[in-house]
Amino acid sequence: MRGVLKLAAKILITVLLGGFLGATLVRLAPGFGVDEEELDPRLNQQSIVALRQAHAPESNLMVLYFHYLDRLLHGDLGISRTLQRPVRQLLVERFPETMKGVGLGLALGWTLGLGLAVATVMSRAWYLDLSAGILAGLLLCLPAAVLALLFVLAQAPARLILGLIVFPKVFRYSRNLLARSSALPHVLMARAKGLGNLRVLVWHILPTAAPQLLALAGVSVSVAFTAAIPVEALCDLPGIGQLAWKAALGRDVALLINLTMIVTLVTLVANSASDLMGNRFRRAEA
Amino acid sequence: MRQRWVRIVLLILAVLSTGIALAQSGGELRFCLRSDPKTFNPLLMADDASETVRYLTGGVLMRLNRLTQEAEPELATSWKVSDGGKTITLKLRDGVRFSDGTPLSSDDVAYTVQQLMDPALHSPTGDAFRSGEGRVITRVLGKNRITITFPAPIAGLDKLFDQVAIMSAKSPQKEMAVLGPYYVAENKAGAYLILKRNPNYWKHDSSGRQLPYIDSVRLEIQQNRDIETLRLERGEIDFINSIDAEYYDKVMAQNPAMAHDAGISLDAEFMWFNQVPTSPLPAYKKAWFTSTNFRRAISEAINREDLVRIAFRGRAHPAAGPVSPGNKFWFNSKLQPHPFDQKSALQRLAQDGFHLQDGVLHDRDGHMVEFSIVTNAGNKYRERMATMIQQDLSGIGIKLNVVTLDFPSLIERMTRTFDYEACLLGLVNTDLDPNSQMNVWLSSSDNHQWNPSQKTPATAWEAEIDKLMRAQASALDAKQRKQYFDQVQEIAWEQEPFIYLVNKDALSAVSPSVRNVHPVVLRPQVYWNIDELSLGSEVARNK
Repeated sequence: MRGVLKLAAKILITVLLGGFLGATLVRLAPGFGVDEEELDPRLNQQSIVALRQAHAPESNLMVLYFHYLDRLLHGDLGISRTLQRPVRQLLVERFPETMKGVGLGLALGWTLGLGLAVATVMSRAWYLDLSAGILAGLLLCLPAAVLALLFVLAQAPARLILGLIVFPKVFRYSRNLLARSSALPHVLMARAKGLGNLRVLVWHILPTAAPQLLALAGVSVSVAFTAAIPVEALCDLPGIGQLAWKAALGRDVALLINLTMIVTLVTLVANSASDLMGNRFRRAEA
Repeated sequence: MRQRWVRIVLLILAVLSTGIALAQSGGELRFCLRSDPKTFNPLLMADDASETVRYLTGGVLMRLNRLTQEAEPELATSWKVSDGGKTITLKLRDGVRFSDGTPLSSDDVAYTVQQLMDPALHSPTGDAFRSGEGRVITRVLGKNRITITFPAPIAGLDKLFDQVAIMSAKSPQKEMAVLGPYYVAENKAGAYLILKRNPNYWKHDSSGRQLPYIDSVRLEIQQNRDIETLRLERGEIDFINSIDAEYYDKVMAQNPAMAHDAGISLDAEFMWFNQVPTSPLPAYKKAWFTSTNFRRAISEAINREDLVRIAFRGRAHPAAGPVSPGNKFWFNSKLQPHPFDQKSALQRLAQDGFHLQDGVLHDRDGHMVEFSIVTNAGNKYRERMATMIQQDLSGIGIKLNVVTLDFPSLIERMTRTFDYEACLLGLVNTDLDPNSQMNVWLSSSDNHQWNPSQKTPATAWEAEIDKLMRAQASALDAKQRKQYFDQVQEIAWEQEPFIYLVNKDALSAVSPSVRNVHPVVLRPQVYWNIDELSLGSEVARNK
């Protein structure tokens, strides 16, 4: 219990630090606090001054942090300057879209990656290993944005892109892990004793590789989340990735601080959960 | 016998006309917005997406006919400007209702004007009406009559109402109750907006049928222009309001019926030099940029014809000044674009002591002439133009460095730090009247880009422009106003604080399934007559 509380406190502090660091970078970025509307020739001097003054509370970082924490404690995430809407409303609308994409991407990436890794290791067929390796290598070389553009051109469902981004990472890592586990003496002994492939895999290979595979699961969540930003922006999927892109272009602190925190939180929770489960496996094995 | 034949012919005609009417009705028109609308409050709309929604949903007192460029009655059947241009008396149309059924009355007009002119609102539309200090007085003279009195005369007052969507004072739906052809039925942030036909829209066609013909409009949020063009090719959207020259040529080659060139648009591409005295530039560069000879020489050293031919594939015209020939009334036809003449440019530079040394231009103190030009990243036409200008200026021994920045960084340099030497940008003109450019030309204005917010005019010609702009804004006679503004254009041509380069053509791509399309140069180019557009029967999509 104490360990869980300690972990929660660690996550909370890291999330806040991540959010504030994000806000600091945006505040220091060139072009912070300017609005495209300032160039509207219809606006008179008073309106331009008012437009500029609207950014005044954001210009002092300490004031910005204090106001943000104060609002956060009251359940208010602020107002997005670029979209002129409450951040909470935007997140409620868009988070499910990203979760669907990330969920589907992880499911597809893991099914393909782990499935091919198992097939390669268990069959020990060189041609399968070679072709899967080439496919994974090719996909690893393609940046997420290029993959997204190819999908747009091919009119393919954009939700599958995240799966193809996660797949090569899962395949290469898990293939190496499974290959190493399958070369362990007790696995060789089990094979020599005539145990079937499925039993060797389920009882001897997977349990040995499980802690590392769980760690990989945590990492793959953050990989999918990070890739969601260019993919959603290019494919016009209305998720938080698209929101993050717009927020960055518009130097929208209120939106970026919350999005940074969400991505940090999801990454930390996924990694911590995989660590905890991995530790349990190790303890159980010991 | 003859009567029987007449009856048969009449019957056939009736059946045919019903067929035509059915073919015109229904369907969903689809096109793209670059971003989500920032607001649905018609008084606060400043971005393109919001203005599109306002145009499609808002009911206005007068509408500027995009074809004739004249104001026409809409919700106001007649109006009279009096009191030296300070007062306007309007008679409203009878029996008009908002989309939620609330009747329109002069109270709604009074409410809208009071909201619009509230100084705390900082409405860009409202600022266009602010010609002097003081309150705006609205007097309701009856259910359908109202007088609005402004503190100072406003030139071109009636045309300004084209931007003012009347809001209901009583409707519980507030700004979502509208008087235009459509109302917002669904808004999925980041994905799409669906507008449905306003059941209470007051307009009818000549046969008495209620407009608009098209049932709904689907506005897809699509940031990427390349994807937008792909979607048009696939038939997923019906038109692109404004396309670039490269895509226009592609459409022309594939399906000429889809490509529309409405002629010279109101938009201009231009460059200017930083003349701000407090900018962090070295004194010798400030001296170059404030010299009329230097600016004129740069202007003459740029080959505008080449810019048109290469950067815009011939779909643009060399620009002469702040008003495009597309603006029929206000364009000063005496002005011609500065010709490409590098010899004359060198002569002008020589007058200021510049001289060539081993093919490199130096000023009288021996400084090599080199400067940078900033423009916004991602705009391939500006990037191409900058590269071509770089090549042109090398012909007179000037080294030009091209710097592309993202828009917020660029605005920061233009308006806050003044840390730039020259800037290449474009002006999107949404209004014909020179009053809409008031804040660009007045030396005291923040949008007087080359040297903003001057306490007193830095030069005699800027003082003259100030005087002429104020004079045209207070004169009521259109001819008199034109004379004043012609002089402003002539000074701008002579002094070249902005070096006007090209006026782009208004290009659009429209699917042949959309009927009654007549693209024009004024925004919104394609759907300005939205209530008269229809979808062909063979492709009408009743969803």
